[in-house]
Amino acid sequence: MDALLQVKDLTKTYPGFTLDHVSFTVPKGSIMGLIGENGAGKSTTIKGILGLIRPEAGAVTFWGQDLAGAPELKEDIGVVFDGLSFYETLTPARVGSILGAAYRRWDDALYKEYMQRFSLPMDKEIKGLSKGMKAKLGIAAALAHRPRFLILDEATSGLDPVMRDDMLDVFLEFVQDEEHGILMSSHITTDLEKVADYITFIHEGRVLFTRPKDELRYQWGIVRCGAAAFGRMDPAGMLAWRKEAYQYDVLVPDKEAARRQYKDAVVDDATIDDILLLYVKGERSK
Amino acid sequence: MKSLLLKDLYNISYNAKAMLLIMVIMTAAVVPTAGAIPEMAGFTILCAMMEVTTFNFDETSGWTAYALVLPLRRNDIVRAKFAVLAIFCTVGVLLGLALSGAAAFLMGGRLPEENGPLVLLAAVPVLWAIAFAMGSTSIPLAFRFGAENARVLIVVAFVVPMVIFVGLAGALSMAGVTLSNGQAIALFCASPLAALAWGAVMYRLSCGIFAKTEW
Repeated sequence: MDALLQVKDLTKTYPGFTLDHVSFTVPKGSIMGLIGENGAGKSTTIKGILGLIRPEAGAVTFWGQDLAGAPELKEDIGVVFDGLSFYETLTPARVGSILGAAYRRWDDALYKEYMQRFSLPMDKEIKGLSKGMKAKLGIAAALAHRPRFLILDEATSGLDPVMRDDMLDVFLEFVQDEEHGILMSSHITTDLEKVADYITFIHEGRVLFTRPKDELRYQWGIVRCGAAAFGRMDPAGMLAWRKEAYQYDVLVPDKEAARRQYKDAVVDDATIDDILLLYVKGERSK
Repeated sequence: MKSLLLKDLYNISYNAKAMLLIMVIMTAAVVPTAGAIPEMAGFTILCAMMEVTTFNFDETSGWTAYALVLPLRRNDIVRAKFAVLAIFCTVGVLLGLALSGAAAFLMGGRLPEENGPLVLLAAVPVLWAIAFAMGSTSIPLAFRFGAENARVLIVVAFVVPMVIFVGLAGALSMAGVTLSNGQAIALFCASPLAALAWGAVMYRLSCGIFAKTEW
């Protein structure tokens, strides 16, 4: 597996919160979804990856190289933060001028192409743009210097479902090139279900798992059963569980096996939201 | 670094019309009563203070974290702030000179002799140096404490170089050193160099602060 991004044991301590030995790898040609509840450590992880904070331990490499030692790698990385990082009196045209002076590979024609495609005006001040338009401007700005790797921190959060779908198409186009990749943090797990190849789940500063999305969607499941049936279940086969008003919801790694084993229980597919909720609000096997 | 300069100049250009209006009003109010030098000094310092406003823009928009993901080094970001300050000071002092010249013309050349063209020209490097020294001191303060606090601390930014200057003058006076006209002119001419040296110290300090800053 050729790694675009490798994060190994990234550790950072704040009062009341520790990012604890976070590790994962984004392979070439793939989209890695980063999920977790608010305050789980997703944004801190991204800041650590980009060198915006100084981790106490751990290593981050892009294409096998440390960003601090090879800052020219930033030419190959596009970043979209939650919220546009330009002052509100600037226009998209001026944003293009500023970034065109920053990146050697800035492609003004491509920038204008994205602006047209996203129906964004070039000469309207940012303060006059909607939240969705600002999000699209951020994405266009991140793509116009032809990066090989995109880091998206809640980049689609301001977009309506139609716009989000358009953006997801852009991201899928981007990873058609097998040398490209995306790390995408999002609360909108349905977006990740559509486009991500892998999911890394961060909870309370720790990585709970990194798994192929298809494994989560097509192999993991939720057993819904009563207290008696729950009592008979093999704890070794339970990833997490939660007591609801009238039943237990149990996350299992193999729904087909569960269907065969627990014939009197209902076994549903697990969405990423279900998994997140059970891990965060439920109990877990030790 | 060009991108950083463009960003600050574009941002500040939004306020340019209002600034120009303030300057014209100041000229009309100050030049006939107090003369051209206070007017030029006011402009130059006003423009130098716009440096802190650029920090305000950066903080409001979350620019600095974004700048760090651009292909720039942290020191480039600090260096650009000093370059923008130099531009602001230059624009301020030259605008002040132009507007006081225009005011003198409109007043039919009725400016006092101490505000003659040569005196005004000689004041340009000195006023530039004072504003640059003051603005330079505000930059590490803004990096360390943020733009709003830096605005308050800008008083310190003004007082520190002034105290050093007055202290130095006092020490020279106590040592019985008196300046001839030629020496005074030489000092005037050297003042931008002294301001640049002060700026270099503040640059090093800013780099040290900025290197430790996290987002």
